Amino acid sequence: MVLAVQDPSEGADPRQELRSRAEIDRSCQGPVTLFVASAVGWLLFGSLLAMAASIKLHSPGFLSHHAWLTFGRVRPAHLNTVIYGWAAMVGIAAMLWLQTRLSRVTLVFPRLLTAIAWLWNLAVAAGTVAILAGHGTGVEWIEFPVPVALALALLFGAVGLVSFYTFARRPPGHIYVTQWYLFGAILWFPYLYLMAQLMIHLGGATGVVQGSANWWFAHNVLGLFLTPIGVGAVYYLIPKVIGRPIHSYYLSLLGFWSLALFYNWAGTHHLVGGPLPAWLISVGIVGSVMMFIPVTAVAINHHLTMVGHFHMLRTSPTLRFVVFGGMSYTLVSFQGSLQALRGVNEISHFTHYTVAHAHLGVYAFYSMVMFGAVYYMLPRMTGREWSSARLIRIHFWGSALGIALYWGGLTWGGWLQGRMMNDAAIPFLDIVRFTIPFLWSRSFAGVLMTIGHVAFAVLVWRMLAGAREPARAPGPTLLGRPRGEREINPAEAQ
Amino acid sequence: MTRLLVAIILVAVLFGLTAVAGLVWAIRRGQFRNLTAGARSIFDNEEPVGRPTDAFPPPREEE
Repeated sequence: MVLAVQDPSEGADPRQELRSRAEIDRSCQGPVTLFVASAVGWLLFGSLLAMAASIKLHSPGFLSHHAWLTFGRVRPAHLNTVIYGWAAMVGIAAMLWLQTRLSRVTLVFPRLLTAIAWLWNLAVAAGTVAILAGHGTGVEWIEFPVPVALALALLFGAVGLVSFYTFARRPPGHIYVTQWYLFGAILWFPYLYLMAQLMIHLGGATGVVQGSANWWFAHNVLGLFLTPIGVGAVYYLIPKVIGRPIHSYYLSLLGFWSLALFYNWAGTHHLVGGPLPAWLISVGIVGSVMMFIPVTAVAINHHLTMVGHFHMLRTSPTLRFVVFGGMSYTLVSFQGSLQALRGVNEISHFTHYTVAHAHLGVYAFYSMVMFGAVYYMLPRMTGREWSSARLIRIHFWGSALGIALYWGGLTWGGWLQGRMMNDAAIPFLDIVRFTIPFLWSRSFAGVLMTIGHVAFAVLVWRMLAGAREPARAPGPTLLGRPRGEREINPAEAQ
Repeated sequence: MTRLLVAIILVAVLFGLTAVAGLVWAIRRGQFRNLTAGARSIFDNEEPVGRPTDAFPPPREEE
């Protein structure tokens, strides 16, 4: 059902709008909650794999008796489950919900989406088993065997088509900036993924060129898939939570289009110092530095929107996660632009510094924003309330303190590691021993993060499993009010 | 192999052109005209500007 909500100030019936938004939210319930639940499952499993990989680096004998639990398999299994399991599935969930809301249509093809979710789970499971069994491809970010990868590319493409169809059914009027970002993500990514498979695994590129194709792809997973979904979500959630429009809509559009222009070039910054033509690497560095423009635009915009409203971080779970994520986006992007410079890269490359940077991006930015998105959309889709404010706080602090410790420890240790590696007088093994305390700090950080994930999983489980509650009447989905405000009874609004 | 590379480059150029086409389409359709209205398009009568829409859940009686 398409709703022409064009000019709300012109006396449109507010109850019609209420039912419409609630209907849209509820239409997402089946498929979108399935994507969320699956994503959370992969997050938990990916966290276990992460802990195993982390512990192995400072205690190599840990779980080393079985081939399928060796580091060379556990680490890529972790990477692929958290990217294609957690990150991709929660991103698709957020994208579907945001697109239905912004296009003001109920979810299209729900049964197809449900099937896609199940097939996606199957593909990621098959790929993960393959990696642990020793059949990973050994190419970073695309370790899944080719048949699994092609299946995922197809499923990605199907989600893209559903998104486009949803968009095509929208009423005339403004296309909010979030939708530009989401479109970027879902249109770019199937192409990227397919191209990567063709070039790297199916013979399109050989030798050193495979390397540049690899990092063109892997960086674009971050820049043209995860980043647009994350930033797009922030552009919607901050204004909706605080009740205030984006400070400068012009800046937001500038940010989107300059991201589209610059981000794709940055991939070869992963290969600085490698056996590629210098011009190719320089192109990557220039693209990386140009990213200062969209990132600054986004940072200014989000900050000026939030100014005067930071006190709401105390009362809104979504806002906490989303603002933490948004600030991390600025930090990781500035760090990334600097890291691409040859002088900096000379020290940071091949060290734990890079690992810290990667997690600052995918976890402190993207995952925290996605946590915030789930806290906002799940109650509105299911008509239920989160069961425990305390568990939400445990989740937040576990994740926030965890990633702060993770990043701090490995950035510090990694930088010193890099400095020492450039000093020929220091034996390599001494440097390895030097990093061990920092690796312990990362394992400890991982425990904090995993505790947060368990709290989150319990909350999501309770919300989705509370099936015996009576179906709620269509109406506004209201959560608890900040202290001092009256709880609005949905029945009164009818 | 050369044919594959040519095909890949052509597809890449095509994608670049669709991005340009998207931008031109947006400009033509007036998406950049009223930016203030654009920023406000996510609000309406029930979730108006000025009202927060998220908070911690209230404590339950059982806790």
